[in-house]
Amino acid sequence: MALFSAFQTTFLLALLSLKTYQSEVLSEPLSLAPESLEVSIDSARQCLHLKWSVHNLAYHQELKMVFQIEISRIKTSNVIWVENYSTTVKRNQVLRWSWESKLPLECAKHSVRMRGAVDDAQVPELRFWSNWTSWEEVDVQSSLGHDPLFVFPKDKLVEEGSNVTICYVSRSHQNNISCYLEGVRMHGEQLDPNVCVFHLKNVPFIRETGTNIYCKADQGDVIKGIVLFVSKVFEEPKDFSCETRDLKTLNCTWAPGSDAGLLTQLSQSYTLFESFSGKKTLCKYKSWCNWQVSPDSQEMYNFTLTAENYLRKRSVHLLFNLTHRVHPMAPFNVFVKNVSATNATMTWKVHSIGNYSTLLCQIELYGEGKVIQKQNVSVKVNGKHLMKKLEPSTEYAAQVRCANANHFWKWSEWTRRNFTTAEAAPSEAPDVWRNVKSVQGHCVVTLFWKPLSKLQANGKILFYNVVLENLDRPSTLKLLSIPAPANGTELTLDRCSYQIHVTANNSVGTSPASVIAVSGDPGNKEVEEERVKGTEDGFCLSWKPQPGDVTGYVVEWCERPGDPLCDLQWKNLGPNTTSTVVSSDAFRPGVRYNFRIYGISTERIPYLLEKKTGYSQELVPSDNPQVLMSNLTSYSFTLSWKDYAAESQPGFVQGYSLYLKSKAARCLPGSEKAVLSDDSICCKYKIDNPKQKTFVVENLQPASFYEFFLTPYTSVGEGPQGAFTKVTTPDEYSHILIRIILPMIFSILLIMILCYLKSQWMKEKCYPDIPDPYKSSVLSLIKSKENPRLTIMNVKDCIPDAIEVINKQEGTRKSLTETEPTKPTYLYLLPTEKSHSGPGPCICFENFTYNQAASDSVSCGHVPVTPKAQPSQLGLLTSSENVPKALGKNYVNSLGEIPAGETNLNYVSQLASPMCGDKSSLPTNPPEPALCSEYKTQMAIPMGLASPPSITLLDEGEHDH
Amino acid sequence: MDLRAGDSWGMLACLCAVLWHLPAVPALNRTGDPGPGPSIQKTYDLTRYLEHQLRSLAGTYLNYLGPPFNEPDFNPPRLGAETLPRATVNLDVWRSLNDKLRLTQNYEAYSHLLCYLRGLDRQAATAELRRSLAHFCTSLQGLLGSIAGVMAALGYPLPQPLPGAEPTRAPGPAHGDFLQKMDDFWLLKELQTWLWRSAKDFNRLKKKTQPPPAAVTLHLEAHGF
Repeated sequence: MALFSAFQTTFLLALLSLKTYQSEVLSEPLSLAPESLEVSIDSARQCLHLKWSVHNLAYHQELKMVFQIEISRIKTSNVIWVENYSTTVKRNQVLRWSWESKLPLECAKHSVRMRGAVDDAQVPELRFWSNWTSWEEVDVQSSLGHDPLFVFPKDKLVEEGSNVTICYVSRSHQNNISCYLEGVRMHGEQLDPNVCVFHLKNVPFIRETGTNIYCKADQGDVIKGIVLFVSKVFEEPKDFSCETRDLKTLNCTWAPGSDAGLLTQLSQSYTLFESFSGKKTLCKYKSWCNWQVSPDSQEMYNFTLTAENYLRKRSVHLLFNLTHRVHPMAPFNVFVKNVSATNATMTWKVHSIGNYSTLLCQIELYGEGKVIQKQNVSVKVNGKHLMKKLEPSTEYAAQVRCANANHFWKWSEWTRRNFTTAEAAPSEAPDVWRNVKSVQGHCVVTLFWKPLSKLQANGKILFYNVVLENLDRPSTLKLLSIPAPANGTELTLDRCSYQIHVTANNSVGTSPASVIAVSGDPGNKEVEEERVKGTEDGFCLSWKPQPGDVTGYVVEWCERPGDPLCDLQWKNLGPNTTSTVVSSDAFRPGVRYNFRIYGISTERIPYLLEKKTGYSQELVPSDNPQVLMSNLTSYSFTLSWKDYAAESQPGFVQGYSLYLKSKAARCLPGSEKAVLSDDSICCKYKIDNPKQKTFVVENLQPASFYEFFLTPYTSVGEGPQGAFTKVTTPDEYSHILIRIILPMIFSILLIMILCYLKSQWMKEKCYPDIPDPYKSSVLSLIKSKENPRLTIMNVKDCIPDAIEVINKQEGTRKSLTETEPTKPTYLYLLPTEKSHSGPGPCICFENFTYNQAASDSVSCGHVPVTPKAQPSQLGLLTSSENVPKALGKNYVNSLGEIPAGETNLNYVSQLASPMCGDKSSLPTNPPEPALCSEYKTQMAIPMGLASPPSITLLDEGEHDH
Repeated sequence: MDLRAGDSWGMLACLCAVLWHLPAVPALNRTGDPGPGPSIQKTYDLTRYLEHQLRSLAGTYLNYLGPPFNEPDFNPPRLGAETLPRATVNLDVWRSLNDKLRLTQNYEAYSHLLCYLRGLDRQAATAELRRSLAHFCTSLQGLLGSIAGVMAALGYPLPQPLPGAEPTRAPGPAHGDFLQKMDDFWLLKELQTWLWRSAKDFNRLKKKTQPPPAAVTLHLEAHGF
């Protein structure tokens, strides 16, 4: 057996060597086939790396060859890739070629084969394909292990927007595998029973920890996943630029693109490559890099900046001349020298940028924050610049920067120095004005001057010199030195004329003098005040030009009128000026400003020309006048407001508005209807004359109610709405009544007082308790005219024996049907016999009531009281309360006994009754006068009250019957 | 109430007497040994606090990992997390643990977990997450110190770490990023389980080491004082 094996080997070797010989010698032309093909895989990059060589080449022979490579997937017949790879081949050179698979190599078995052909013009006879190599199989799956499930590719890194293919490899046929992308189930394509492929298109960036993809089996505890790292698109560097500051080092800068946005940042590298020198440097920083300038005076540079990360490489280019990219260093040793009041010199040094280069330097001079001078100077090494026309005693800042004069690239940084110019004597005379007052025979002059502006002062003003020159005694000079910052002084002078010189002084010198004269005559002539209207821009004042020599005009005003320190302001104007606009931020609306315009004589004496007054902005009146009402009549009343100070209002009062409310629907003549702010309607009188301080409201209605309200108005409007004053016009006759009634009441009162005082006398005179017949004028009248026979009986002649008590009942009316006669009650005073049948001595006073009706007939008589009636009447008298009753009864009865008589009142004594019997109407039972004397109270009873029984109603005719 | 001078002196004397006897109150006697009770209580409180703190941290971190790790029902197999100390234990085994073993297991577990957590901290991308993780690590370090304190109080030695056995976070590529995320998930889950278990452990210890009732009374008095 061993012998047979040895024989077989020997035979095969002999056959092989024979074949080799034949191919070298016999089979012309010779085919060059790829040999020793090896295939390796790079799972991470999903690459197949092919490695082969061509052996049949002669020594030192180089041929251009083309290799055709076929790649099949799963089975050899399924060719998925064919590519021709051309290269130059040497004998035994190892050739390499790579192919990147879209599908992870673990997902399927891949096979590779290739063939070659000479593609060289030198040997055109060899242009034919060699035989295919055998299929080289790449099967990663078999080496995966025994896990039940795999997901590929593992932790792949792609750029945003890429397409990615994912697969799972399952070892179990039974299990259903489901895969999820970020928790969302994916649906794939079954490559074979165990492998499923998922195509993800245009993958987005989700988070820095990557996109999670996992698969799990329905049964069992199997879960496998991968993280797909999706980076943001790697951007190319921007603003790539290089420059040098010292011609030794180039500084290149750029703006890198945005980050990849991943948790594990993709390493980015920046490489700078210069093509002329062929040098390359790896930059340490991601946004700048330094490049050492070669000492061989290379002028041109062509840079390529390459930015690279795992996924992408990006490049930018820059070609430039070194001298065109010089950014000089900031100037140094900068000084400001020889600083005078108006000039200064600036010196500096620059860093050289080459032997023959010139720098252009720019000098800027700043004053009060603004550029006031700008100058360019060419400089080699040392720079110098003279700054002229400077202001004395002023702070300045000078700065310098430089750039390449031949090829401007960039200015250097500024180098700055501050300096202050020296002082100079003040250039202008101070602006002086005065205020002259006369106090106790002296002239008190207050001098004011305005501080010099910075430009005029030329330094710090230390003091002001005031020189008083007495014009009357020219040799007399008086000097006052007033330290700054005073802006005025007060001088007490005698009546002499003075000329005052004011100068401002700083450390260097004195200003020109300002001259103003004070004359002995104050010259305060009366000048009419004129009104001016102010605007937002100020007051526009104009005046008449003065004949004669006027050196100028001065307008003077107070910015705070009403204030003791009125803040006097003035404005100097030229001799040809006759108008000016006075404006000030201090002007406030509603404040009256007074302006005085002075002319300045050649002797520098100011004299008042005009006075103006006005408001910068008029306002409505601030308050209303206190109105007094007088002369109120039925038809008018007068209003007056004389105390109202119209001048203190925040505007010129142009007149007054009087509002009158009344019940009348129509307004009186001279007024018009107006609607108030509260929508009430009233009548308005307009008083156009602001000086008119009284007003008569006329044509009113008597006994009517009115309300009035007076308010001033300016050009802007009326004063504030105030309360209406109420007034009621009196009645038309009331005053007449008052004129008559008052004296009457007074007279009556007087009479009453007199009557009261003389009541006793009056009583006796008019209504005595016991009338004196002798004094009765009535009686005397009757006696004299009608019945001369009547005599008066003296009471003394009558002996009373009974008093008749008359019971008077006022207001008691007897019915007409009451016929029962009542009889007077008599009180027997004398002890008489019980029998009264016969006539006995009886004195009866009966005071007849004055009854106009009854007085037509005079009757007198009494009815004797029957003895039967006596006890009862006595009994009645014992009871006091019954007395009036009884009296009344009897009184009425007695009235009933009064016959109708003649006209007028009769006064008849009861004792004269027999004489009464002369009358025709005597009672049927006349009393017996001889026995009874009666006295009755007299009283007058009006007709209505006296309603005696039928007797009184009977007319005479009936009695006659 | 009318306080007279005599009353004030009486109160002052009483106060002085109380102050004089203060050192005699055991709970206030700083030189005396209060026993492991307070430190066990403190440790227990700390575990509860950490439980609460971890709840918010885990929420943030799992969102940072993305789905499916932040899904509430995600329960992957414990594949790559075998090196993590396992908190789950059979109930009988847990009951049978003695105090020393119980404390040792806790100490060792948290030592390991703290190392893993620090690895997590280094990986975290956002500053806020790093802050939260650092804060939690500090708290966990405090818990470890507290457990060590309890062990010292009970006279148990601290377990010595084996040289070279310091657990570290496995580097990414070999392990796979998805598996790494799984490990992170399990780390947080295991930590949560450990904190829960520790609360039970310290509660049990607390009960066991509780002083007799008389001592409790005195303790309470001292507190009231």
